[in-house]
Amino acid sequence: MRQNWWKFLGIAILIYTVIVGMSTPLKPGVLRIDSLSVGQGDNNASITHGETHKFRVKGYNTNFLDNDNRAWLKLDSIGSVKAKAVNVINDTEIDLTFDIPNHFPARDTFESLTLVLHNTEDGAAILPDAVFVKSDLTDIENNAEWKINPISNLTDKTGMQFPYRSVLHETIRNTFFHIPLWFSMFILLIVSLVYSVKYLRSGNLKHDIYASAMVNVAVLFGILGIITGSLWAKYTWGTFWTTDVKLNMSTVAMLIYVASLILRSSINDIDRRAKLSASYNIFAFAALIPLVFIIPRLTDSLHPGNGGNPALGGEDMENTLRMVFYPAIMGFTLLGLWMSSTLIRYELIKDKWMTRK
Amino acid sequence: MKKQNIIITVLSMFICSTTLSAESGAVDFLRSTGKIYSVIAVIVVVLIGIGYFLYKIDNKLTKLENQINNEQ
Repeated sequence: MRQNWWKFLGIAILIYTVIVGMSTPLKPGVLRIDSLSVGQGDNNASITHGETHKFRVKGYNTNFLDNDNRAWLKLDSIGSVKAKAVNVINDTEIDLTFDIPNHFPARDTFESLTLVLHNTEDGAAILPDAVFVKSDLTDIENNAEWKINPISNLTDKTGMQFPYRSVLHETIRNTFFHIPLWFSMFILLIVSLVYSVKYLRSGNLKHDIYASAMVNVAVLFGILGIITGSLWAKYTWGTFWTTDVKLNMSTVAMLIYVASLILRSSINDIDRRAKLSASYNIFAFAALIPLVFIIPRLTDSLHPGNGGNPALGGEDMENTLRMVFYPAIMGFTLLGLWMSSTLIRYELIKDKWMTRK
Repeated sequence: MKKQNIIITVLSMFICSTTLSAESGAVDFLRSTGKIYSVIAVIVVVLIGIGYFLYKIDNKLTKLENQINNEQ
């Protein structure tokens, strides 16, 4: 019991991950905006300046009823125009009427306005590129109409919530199940690399069994990571598989490791098998680093944090997500270590039985 | 052989259902209520993977057990 504490810890952390990861609500957000005066067609309404326009806004997790609702259309850095009339239909639907100013201090002939919604209970909700405005009067100096009612007194909803993202919606919770699989796969592969080097130095067959069991579980986690990522892609990017460089490179890395398992099972001589798979494992790890970490960062990718900065820093991750994400990594790693330890114990018993004479 | 047939049937049914709903343009089940059911699908996939691992190791252990029992 005493030496099993880390297994229970891993399961407890995974239970925490599922409960907190699934039960924490998303921040209130704006699902879509439709123009009632131009006609519904697109998600984003396209209008001209100098007219009064009415929009229907659909919210997500919002409580429009019995709250003081305010709304603005924001023209980047120049100013904003406040809603003239706010008409609440139900908790998730609201009608907004805007007087789009005559003078349009824009540099381009086609400008996008950001919708900012605020109510006393939900705090602020933002929809970027909500409305597109055609403008032929591009007079940057004449911006008085945009300064009358500036955005003011924005608050945040209290309590723990996950951020609302327009395409992701609830799938932001996959952060706790898809990404930790890759992290724990990587940790398992590092440990297995250490045991491979140890085997080559000592020639102790135990170390070879340790290394191959870890590779086994790591490959399982990697394949699960590919399947879960593919599912996630279907409901956010639109297809099961894209030409995203990270997808293809991680698949190649997985194939290299699957090949190592096949190579291992095809050799009968125990010592040759151990030596070959240990040296193969070292080279496979050397291939994994550029495939998963370097090449996706050199080019553009749909994954966050690629083509430059790391995904865990800055604005790619919010602190509420981190509170579940980091424990999830620990939980999946401990689970992976538990799974590989059972495999190791099986292999050791089998080895003992086979070589008993 | 039988097991493989079942797996292939389930997989093809899943693929058919998703592609059909994508073609009709309707909001399918997994996209309803903020796509929360795609998260459930991801969790189910992870659980199936862990279950598969347990099943494999169970089979291996049974084989070894039989070997040991037969020789004694």
